[in-house]
Amino acid sequence: MRFNIPIGPQHPALKEPISLRMTVEGEVIRDADLRLGYNHRGLEKLAEQKTWVQNIYLTERICGICSHSHTTCYVQGVEKLMEIVPPKRGLYIRTLVAELERIHSHLLWLGVAGHEAGFDSFFMYTWRDREVVMDLLEMISGNRVHYAINTLGGVRRDLDEGQIKKILDGLVVLKERSVYYARIGTTEPSFVARLAGVGYLSKEKAMALCAVGPTTRASGVARDVRKDDPYAAYEDTSFEVATADTCDVLGRTVVRIKELLSSYQISEFLVRNLPAGDIAVRAPKRAKPNEVLSRYEAPRGENTHYIKSNGSDKPERLKVRAPTLANYAATIEMLKNGFIADIPLIFAAIDPCVCCAERTVELVNGRTGEEKTVRFAELRALAAERHKQLSTKRNAVWPL
Amino acid sequence: MAALKTILYLLVYPGVLFLFVYSTFCEWFDRKVYARLQNRMGPTHTGRFGLLQPVADFFKLMAKEDITPDLADRRLFTLLPIFGLAIVATAGLLLPVWVFDLSAVPMISFSGDVIVLLYLLSLPTLILFLAGWSSTNPFSAIGGTRVLTMLFGYEAPLFMTVLSPAILANSWRLSEIALFYQHKPWLILPNLLGFAVALVCVQAKLERTPFDIPHAETEIVGGTLTEYSGKKLAFFRLMTDIEMVVSAGLIAAVFLGGFPGGLWLGLLNFVVKTLVVIFILSLIRALTSRIRVDQVVSFAWRYLAPLAVLQLLIVIFIKGLLL
Amino acid sequence: MRVAAFLPELLRHLFKKPNTVDYPFKKLEVPPGFRGTPFLRPELCIACRACERDCPAEAIEMTLLDEAEKKWKMIIHNDRCVHCAQCVDSCPVSPIKAMDIDERYELADFDRHNLKREWVYLRAVLKKAEPKPAPPKTEPKPQTGQV
Repeated sequence: MRFNIPIGPQHPALKEPISLRMTVEGEVIRDADLRLGYNHRGLEKLAEQKTWVQNIYLTERICGICSHSHTTCYVQGVEKLMEIVPPKRGLYIRTLVAELERIHSHLLWLGVAGHEAGFDSFFMYTWRDREVVMDLLEMISGNRVHYAINTLGGVRRDLDEGQIKKILDGLVVLKERSVYYARIGTTEPSFVARLAGVGYLSKEKAMALCAVGPTTRASGVARDVRKDDPYAAYEDTSFEVATADTCDVLGRTVVRIKELLSSYQISEFLVRNLPAGDIAVRAPKRAKPNEVLSRYEAPRGENTHYIKSNGSDKPERLKVRAPTLANYAATIEMLKNGFIADIPLIFAAIDPCVCCAERTVELVNGRTGEEKTVRFAELRALAAERHKQLSTKRNAVWPL
Repeated sequence: MAALKTILYLLVYPGVLFLFVYSTFCEWFDRKVYARLQNRMGPTHTGRFGLLQPVADFFKLMAKEDITPDLADRRLFTLLPIFGLAIVATAGLLLPVWVFDLSAVPMISFSGDVIVLLYLLSLPTLILFLAGWSSTNPFSAIGGTRVLTMLFGYEAPLFMTVLSPAILANSWRLSEIALFYQHKPWLILPNLLGFAVALVCVQAKLERTPFDIPHAETEIVGGTLTEYSGKKLAFFRLMTDIEMVVSAGLIAAVFLGGFPGGLWLGLLNFVVKTLVVIFILSLIRALTSRIRVDQVVSFAWRYLAPLAVLQLLIVIFIKGLLL
Repeated sequence: MRVAAFLPELLRHLFKKPNTVDYPFKKLEVPPGFRGTPFLRPELCIACRACERDCPAEAIEMTLLDEAEKKWKMIIHNDRCVHCAQCVDSCPVSPIKAMDIDERYELADFDRHNLKREWVYLRAVLKKAEPKPAPPKTEPKPQTGQV
C-alpha cells in the first residue's frame, strides 16, 4: 500500500526548510519529489542596490557554514572586474582562512552525520574539537562564524608571530583527533551498518546529473576546482584530490576525512611559508562594464558567482549557483529504492546547505514548456485559485 | 493494621510515590552519566546538581496545553497514557523489595509472578503501538509498526534469559529466586551470559539507542508520541521512566541476587543494584548509534536468540550436575 | 570491525572535567581583536561620512545640526549593526581611529530602541598640528539593558 510521507518543510532531520514528498511502500521509497523556495530571501536583487564593498558582507550572509567561500568567490570576481591583483601575503591569508573553514565544515558534517544516525557521542566529540578551529578563526578574524576577512584587493587583518604559533599548535591537536575519528567512523559496527551501501550513486549517473563536491568524488570522479582551475594561493601548494570508490555514504565520509587531513597539510604549509609584504591593495570605487564568472571549491562542492558590472559603483547582476543546488538532482536519484530510515543520512551526505541554494523561482508551464519569472502577487492569486479546487481526502496525490 | 500496611505498600513504598521519586532520580542519573561520558555537564541548575530537573520537566509538561487531533479516537487517545502508567506501576509492586514474610503474602508474591511481571512489561509496547495508531498521523503509524516489529526481535530472548536463573533456582517466584541466589552466590556466575543478553534486550524494550528506532527524532519527528502533548505526554514519559526502574529491578532481582535485608538495608541494596544496571544501560546508549528496524530483527535472531538458548542449555547442564 | 571500539575513550571521559562552560555563571574570554560593538570617539571625528557610506546595514546615521558651529549628530543603530567593522576600516583618521570597535557582545534587550546610541559633537579640524578636541555639547546617552 503506497502512501505519501512529507519530509519537511518543518522536520527535526532538516536544519533548513525544504520539502521532500516521498511515495513509500512499507519502508521502501518508490519516488521522491523535491520542492524548493522556503529559504528565498531576495539576495540577488538586494545585491544590485548595494555598492561593491557593501556586497562583501551581503554575500557572506548567504550561508553561515560556508560564509568565506561566498565572500571569496565574489571578491575574486570583482577583483577581476576592477583589474587589481592582491599581493601574495593577502592571498596566502585568504587561502589559510579558506582551509580552516573547510576543516570546520567537515568536522561539523561528521557530527551531523553521527547525529542523524543516532550516534550522539560521536556528534558531541567532533563538535568539541571543532571548537579548536573556531577559536583559531576567532583569533585571526574577530568572529567565529562570519569571518569578514576579505576586502576588495586583499585581506583586512594580518597574522603575527603569536597567532602563527597558536595556529600550528591547534593544527597538531586537530590532526591527532581527526585520525582517531577516522578510525571510529569506519570501524564502529552500528555506525558503519548505517552508512555502508546507503545512497548509491554510480559514476555515470554522478557525471550525467552534474553532481559536485564530495558527493561526486566518492563515486570516483576526481573533480576539484582547486586542482582544475587554481585560484588564490593554491598553485603553490601540493595536495592529492581525495576520491573513493564505494559510491555510497561511507565513501563520502571517507572522502571528507581525507580532505580534512589534506587541509591540515595545506594550512601548515601556508602558515610556515607566509611571504612578507602588504596584505591589500587599494581598490577603485567603480568597475568598468564587463562580466565575469568566478569559481571556488567550497566544502560542499563547486561554488560559482556570475557578476556583471555596468561602470557604476553597484553591480548590475549577481547570480549565485551554490553547490547544493547542483546536488539536488543526484539526491532524488539516490533516494529511489532506499529505506525511509535512510532518508536523513542520504540527505545529510550531500551536506545540504539549503540557504545557499535558494535563488529565483521560475514557473515552467508543463504543457507548453514556456518559462516566466512571476511576481509574488501573481503566485498568491494562483495559490488561492488552486486551493479552491483541491480535494481534501487523505493521501491525495498533489498535482504538480 | 494489615489494611494500613497494604495502603502504605501500595501508595508509598514501593508504591506510586516511591516509584515516582526513584524513577525521576534514575532519569537524572542516566542523563548525568550520558553527559559525562560525552564530556559535557548534564543537568546542573535545577536543585542541587540538577537533581530536580526530571521533576521540573514533568511539572512543566503537566502545565502545557493538551491537544487532541480531530480525527483521533478521543477516548482511546486519552486513556492510553493512564493505562500505561497503571500497568508499569503494578509491575513495580511485584518486585521483591519488601517481602516481610515469605509464606504469608499471596497478593504480591506468588508462584509464577516472574511470568506475570514479564507479561506486564510487554504490555507498554502494545500501548505504544495503539497510541501511534490512534493518532492518525503517518509518522505515528510508522512508529507504531516499528515498535511491534522490534517486539518480534527482542521478546523471545528476553523471556528465555530471564527464565534461565528461575530454572536453576527451581522456582517461578521472584522472592524465592532471589533467596536462592543469596544463599548460593557462586551460582550467579553461570548466568553471566544471560545477564549480558538480558541487558541488550532490556535496552531494546526501553527503546534506547541502539534500538530507539520507534521514536527516532531525526527520522520520523516524534514517532509514536508525535501527537501527544501536555498531561498525556507527561504520563507517557513517566511510564518510560518507571519501566526503566522496573526492568532494572527485575534484572537485579533475577541475576544479581535480589535485595536482602528487610526494609532499610533492602532499600539500599535495591538502589545500588539498580543503579549499576542503569549505569551499564547508559554506557550502551552512549556507545553505539541507531540501527535500522530490519537490522534490529536480524541482529536479535542471529545473535541474541542463539545465545539465550545457549544460556538455557548451560543452566540445564549445571542443574543436572548439581542434582 | 571491533565491537565497542569507542569504549575506552568513553570511560576515560567519565573522569575528565566537562568541556562545557557554565554560562552565564562563568564566562569565556574573547581574544583581542574580537569584533564587538562599534563606538565613536567624537573628539577625533572629521565628519567625512565614509563610515555611513560603507556600512552594509545602514546602521550609522549622521545629521548636520548646525552649519555655522559645525555641530553634528551621529546615531549608531546597534539593532541593525552586523558587527563587520567596515566602518573602522573606512575611517581615514589615524593613528587612533575615530570609529572603533570594542569587545562587548552581550547586547540583548527587550526593546530594540534601547540599543541605539547617540553622540552630538563639534567636528574636529585636521589642519592644526595638535587638533584641539572640541568638548561635546552633551554627554552620550547611557546604554541601558546591559547585562
